[in-house]
Amino acid sequence: MELVRVDTQRAYELIREKITTLELSPGSAISEQRLAEDLDMGLVPVREALKLLAHDDLVVITPRHGLYVADVNVPDLEQISEMRLSLESLCARLAAQRATPDDWVVLEALSQEQATIPPEDSQRLFDFDHRFHQAVARAAHNKYLARTLDHLFGLSQRLWYLALPHIEFLPGAVEKHLDLVEAIKAGDADAAEGIMSRHVQDFYDKVYEVLAQR
Amino acid sequence: MDAGNISQHAPEGTPISGEASSPADTDSLVLGIDTGGTYTDGVLLEYHSRRVLASHKSLTTKRDFSIGIEQVIEGIHIPDPSAVKLVSVSTTLATNAIAEGKGKRVALLLIGYDPDLVSSFHMEGRFATPHYYYFAGGHDLYGREKEELDLPSILTEVNQIKDQVDAIAVSSYFSPLNPEHENRVYHAVSSVCDLPIVLGHQLSTKLGSIERATTAALNASLLAILQDFIIAVRRAMERRKIDAPLMVVRGDGTLMSDEFAARTPVETIHSGPAASAIGGRFLSRLDDALVVDIGGTTTDIALIQTGQVTVTEEGASVGDYKTAVKAANLLSIALGGDSHISLGRDKELTIGPERVVPLAYLAGEHPQVHSRLKVLSRRTWTQAAPEWLEHWFLLRQPDEFLVKTPSQRSLVDFLRDGPQPVPEILKRLDVLHVAQIDARELLRQEIIGKSGLTPTDLLHVDGYYAPWDLEAASLALDVFCRFHFWEPADVRQRVWSRMTEAIVHAIVAFLSGKLLPPPALPDDKDMGRWFFHNSLYPTHPQLETSFRLRQPIIGIGAPAGVFLQDVADALHTDLVLPDHHQVANAVGAIAGSVMVTEEILVYPRLSAEGLEVLGYYVQTSDERQEYEDADDALAHARALSRELAMGAALRSGAENPQVVVEELVDGLDTYRIRAKAMGNPRLAH
Repeated sequence: MELVRVDTQRAYELIREKITTLELSPGSAISEQRLAEDLDMGLVPVREALKLLAHDDLVVITPRHGLYVADVNVPDLEQISEMRLSLESLCARLAAQRATPDDWVVLEALSQEQATIPPEDSQRLFDFDHRFHQAVARAAHNKYLARTLDHLFGLSQRLWYLALPHIEFLPGAVEKHLDLVEAIKAGDADAAEGIMSRHVQDFYDKVYEVLAQR
Repeated sequence: MDAGNISQHAPEGTPISGEASSPADTDSLVLGIDTGGTYTDGVLLEYHSRRVLASHKSLTTKRDFSIGIEQVIEGIHIPDPSAVKLVSVSTTLATNAIAEGKGKRVALLLIGYDPDLVSSFHMEGRFATPHYYYFAGGHDLYGREKEELDLPSILTEVNQIKDQVDAIAVSSYFSPLNPEHENRVYHAVSSVCDLPIVLGHQLSTKLGSIERATTAALNASLLAILQDFIIAVRRAMERRKIDAPLMVVRGDGTLMSDEFAARTPVETIHSGPAASAIGGRFLSRLDDALVVDIGGTTTDIALIQTGQVTVTEEGASVGDYKTAVKAANLLSIALGGDSHISLGRDKELTIGPERVVPLAYLAGEHPQVHSRLKVLSRRTWTQAAPEWLEHWFLLRQPDEFLVKTPSQRSLVDFLRDGPQPVPEILKRLDVLHVAQIDARELLRQEIIGKSGLTPTDLLHVDGYYAPWDLEAASLALDVFCRFHFWEPADVRQRVWSRMTEAIVHAIVAFLSGKLLPPPALPDDKDMGRWFFHNSLYPTHPQLETSFRLRQPIIGIGAPAGVFLQDVADALHTDLVLPDHHQVANAVGAIAGSVMVTEEILVYPRLSAEGLEVLGYYVQTSDERQEYEDADDALAHARALSRELAMGAALRSGAENPQVVVEELVDGLDTYRIRAKAMGNPRLAH
């Protein structure tokens, strides 16, 4: 995001949040004018931000019908989940092989913090889960992998918000994170890969149930 | 009355040069804006011919600078906004936020600092935040790890404080020589929280560890503030249909793109006075001169040498904080056109340091002030003490939550019907002295304002400059004089010579670097003071002394023409008042060059026992390379610094930047390679 105008950056973050939290619902039309007024920003940064979001696959620009928030549906879910499943597992494997002592310190600090989050605070748990996955991706020391995973995570985020009213958040995930940190520290690539794979699969299974019922 | 109205009624018309612009030279219009302590000034300039096409002044709105800025843009009446190719702003926002303690909350992580050493020199107060924490780590004078970095403790601490602060600053011991620990902290902390993180080595390559920590903490505390400001300016531009690059002036008068400014807000400290000096040079085309800018609140002095504003080698200071940021070498004194004229403890005439609204302006806005001054002038002198001249008034209707106490409430209610003289306010609030009124917060929030007799009122009486209510100014001066049995003409003369003396004193102190201590004994035997006095008011029958300033004075600011002629005479030099000198500060905002400096340190790698030189390190802000011999290392550093500076200058909007590489020796066998890339700002197409 280097050298993006300061106000564009701000607009991008604000609109992205509106989309991922479903305040702008999937499939709905976007009015640049109204967004600019809501955010108390100019039209130029809003327009630039929407282009960036189109690049993130969160906004769809069609020549004839204008701007839409990208829709969420079952085929999308399947495509996103198969990508994430194999890439997150690869990521955990690489992290076990490549993590530095600094990475261990970060992962440990995160798991300590996780223990202090009350299980009913699902919003914080979810943000935290995102941070944890990013930290594992950093520990894998492959920036292209990290970037791709972040893109996919951004798309999954909306699935989670859709499913939120219907599922409790994965208390089991907490322990899985701890196990994963142990496996990464021990340099046990197979174990790390396995834990991550099951963790991601669980998530999509639950979301799939909810979406299929809609 | 809200602040928006004030701006519209502000000195409208007076300092504006509304020359019509011919269509031929409207190809590359640029807009310069200076948000000063009193006024926000704007100029529209044709870039290539340097012609000033229009200018406008509004009152600065401290609580939201964008209001004043939008009024300036509106006041300039730009015929075709799409012809504006560049906008540049200088702002006192950073300086004010620091001075008033309004920065955001910052956690400062100090790595490898010795807490006992810091406290033994009482330097904790200089860190610019109460939240500072010491951790093990840091490097030594040769870039060797002094102690292992204690990352686990850092993350534990960050976890505890991250909800109580808005940003994190990191400074590690000797990080310019080896930023490894700062970089590692950055990676780790950014993995556990989303707060913005500022690293000391990215802001300063100087080795002073305290100044670097202060600079990092201040920068972190200003990030959000400057970002909001830039977004506000952008929005004001967009509402006025101006689509052009935006530049921000640095403290040394050079320009940076708005993205750079959003990341390094600390560099905007003192950008206002620096812009004035640059503007003075640009308009006068003089390459060697002293620039004196008389504003409403302060008088600022800067020096132009061979076409450049001189820069201090020491970092800029704001309030109690000393930073490692480069800034123009300047002296600012609290004396200006709107300084309050009052009587000191020993009944001597004092001017400033407080700034008030001139009575001529207040009376022009509120007819009842005019009539009250008339009544006052007819009273006997015992009934018309000078306290009656000082008026307080409501600047805007305050939001309910800003009026906190009952006494604040009754003050605000009392002023709702219009300005009131201080004795009436005391009576209404049933207190004996102004100090008992609970008004500090209301004054600071610009809810109430003060008005009184000022040099600007005297200028009205003298007929030099009279945009507002001349009769009110004259009545006020009469009341002031009658009480003391003084002659108005005499008082005017004394005010002018007092101001001349203060400015000459400041110029001599600024150029000589010497102070003139106040007399300790009535029977003064100090030759320095005698010399100064005798040079201004030649009284000695035999000895004649005088000052002679070799360079001319460039006068800037609306009252410069009146006050500075005497100053120039006292210094036996010429006063140059370039056209549009009233808005030279805004011209300076646009006249600077875009500059980027990249520094690389080259220093020896020593053997473990420190006796043998094994090679040389070339250290940039993100990477370190090693060479066997010093010449190769230096050659590489020169090439690399040139390349980095060129790239950064292009990214920050310079056109055809020229790079100059300097080599400085910094301690034993340590070299500082500094590449400066400079170019004119690139205009939009």
